[in-house]
Amino acid sequence: MTVGLAAVLFVAAGLVAVGAFIAAWRRDLTAALAGVPLMFAGAGTAFAGVSRFAAAPAGGGQLLGQEVALLLSVAALAAVVLGVGLAGREGRR
Amino acid sequence: MDSLHAIGFYVSAAVSLAGGLSVAFLPDRVRRGMALGAVAIGVAGTYLSLSAGFAALVALACYGGCAVLLAGPTYRVLESVTAVIWRQLGAVAAAALLLALVYAAYFGDFSQSKYFGGDFGSASLGRRLFAHDALATEAVAALVLVGLVGASIAWRTRDRSR
Repeated sequence: MTVGLAAVLFVAAGLVAVGAFIAAWRRDLTAALAGVPLMFAGAGTAFAGVSRFAAAPAGGGQLLGQEVALLLSVAALAAVVLGVGLAGREGRR
Repeated sequence: MDSLHAIGFYVSAAVSLAGGLSVAFLPDRVRRGMALGAVAIGVAGTYLSLSAGFAALVALACYGGCAVLLAGPTYRVLESVTAVIWRQLGAVAAAALLLALVYAAYFGDFSQSKYFGGDFGSASLGRRLFAHDALATEAVAALVLVGLVGASIAWRTRDRSR
């Protein structure tokens, strides 16, 4: 059993598509906000996979994908904090 | 990649995808939050099996934080005014996006190489984050600041209007 870049990209595609589906499908906008971290997680998985399997660029940038995955995680949290705060201002219990 | 890492990757991927589908279809917010927590664990496991241990820790904290926020008592319902037909078209577009991405992943001609980094990589990632790519780190820090300040202002104006 082995894992290649194509398998990682399949998982990333699934996460991005499920996140887009949640954002489009849920009637409640705060619930639809849960699709944002899923899409960011999918993008981060693709970056981490490319960092793990693809050929390293000149200058030793093999960790660039991991770095982008890390920054995407933090950006997803910031987006959800802002979204929940705005929904708390406008929404009902 | 050895068999143990491969099994960890596939199990983590299955957990994260199943959690994502549960977030889409579960009715109440607490269960959706728990499913998003499962996504956080699955994504962290995926990163860990891809030799990105430090990114896995940060992802677990951040996506777990998203799950806590979306399941917590601060949750408010905000109804969409979008018609059902547009939501159905959005769902079909998400399926089309999945097909396009899978097609690109399957037929892409990727070059592969050996990985020489360590399993955790916190020191080398820290050097990249705070030295080589400090501007990108500053930009994300500014985004976090804007998110926190915006959420605080939104909550304060809500409390004043009551």
